[in-house]
Amino acid sequence: MGEVLVITSGKGGVGKTTTTANIGTGLAALGYKVVMVDTDIGLRNLDVVMGLENRIVYDIVDVISGNCNHKKALIKDKRQEELYLLPASQTRDKSAVTQEQMKELCQTLKNEFDYVLIDCPAGIEGGFKNAIAGADKAIVVTTPEVSAVRDADRIIGLLEANEIKNPKLIINRIRPDMVKRGDMMDIEDMIEILAIDLLGVVPEDEMIVVSTNKGEPAVMDKTSKAGQAYRNISLRITGEAVPLMHLESHTGIMSKLRKLIGF
Amino acid sequence: MSEKKVSVKVPDSKAILVQRTIRSGQSIQYPGHIVVLGDVNPGAEIVAGGNILVLGCLRGIAHAGAVGNEKAVVAAFRLEPTQLRIANHITRAPDGEKWAPRQPEVARIKNGVVVIEKLQSLEEHYLAFCQ
Repeated sequence: MGEVLVITSGKGGVGKTTTTANIGTGLAALGYKVVMVDTDIGLRNLDVVMGLENRIVYDIVDVISGNCNHKKALIKDKRQEELYLLPASQTRDKSAVTQEQMKELCQTLKNEFDYVLIDCPAGIEGGFKNAIAGADKAIVVTTPEVSAVRDADRIIGLLEANEIKNPKLIINRIRPDMVKRGDMMDIEDMIEILAIDLLGVVPEDEMIVVSTNKGEPAVMDKTSKAGQAYRNISLRITGEAVPLMHLESHTGIMSKLRKLIGF
Repeated sequence: MSEKKVSVKVPDSKAILVQRTIRSGQSIQYPGHIVVLGDVNPGAEIVAGGNILVLGCLRGIAHAGAVGNEKAVVAAFRLEPTQLRIANHITRAPDGEKWAPRQPEVARIKNGVVVIEKLQSLEEHYLAFCQ
């Protein structure tokens, strides 16, 4: 019996889809059987980020309306053996599925996969309610901005009201240099407000833009800092204790020298 | 893609002209031929019982001969579809290949596989659409 994790944020553009793609790939790379479900019906993106758009024949609405079996709609990833995607429909809208149907779908998928990752749409309306309907646990993604943290707080409240206890937090797109200068909220500030467990911190990384456009999750890129962060997060989801990585990059010649002599 | 039930009754000699850009999430379905005077963007779909002709760039999904007509063709000034379907054949571009056709092209079924060729002469083009 697997676990259904919903990845949500309230605010749009904070990295839900990127996080889903990377955690999904990360968990599959660790040997788990994973399915990613895109519930952003009408504004699907997860297929594009995974580079699987051209393989879509059936989608979640086809499965839910009984048009086809879910096995037929699942798209196997290009790179990972045990990673599958259930794409959203692009020509329909959020009202095409109900919470009851989502619960049923999650239950079916849970029986076949170790992890069911649900990519939630932005907002707190029908789409969000559908996405969390069948979830066991939640991951809240936020960025170090007051607006994103405010929305994350609202979302945590709604999750708790829906009996999804102890959501985990991912802080995305943090810039250590700006935090150091005091121009960006730091991790402690955000945890103090949101008061939930931290699952990971993902630094701002140009590689994310490159990998999103290429349709290859950054988690497989050994040189990417964000990729490393997502690998750590994947490990933490499986229950391993991985310390937070150091975000400051010592690239100056002095720091290299110091490293060399062991300071 | 969902519940696209194209009625078999209408003769496929009929055609509609769509004079706009078909954007992501939009779907044009017609039992006859479909002519688009504009682009078909990624995420959009065109489903025709007959042929599909795009006088512009086809980047979305095109399904010609949707009720099983294997003689249906898809032609476009720029044929770069996400996925191409003719009757019950489904094809897509190979992974990692970025190709940008410089001339109008036509896709049709030849010997059981979907092939893409240059849209050479108007005459041939006309014949294809008359089938």
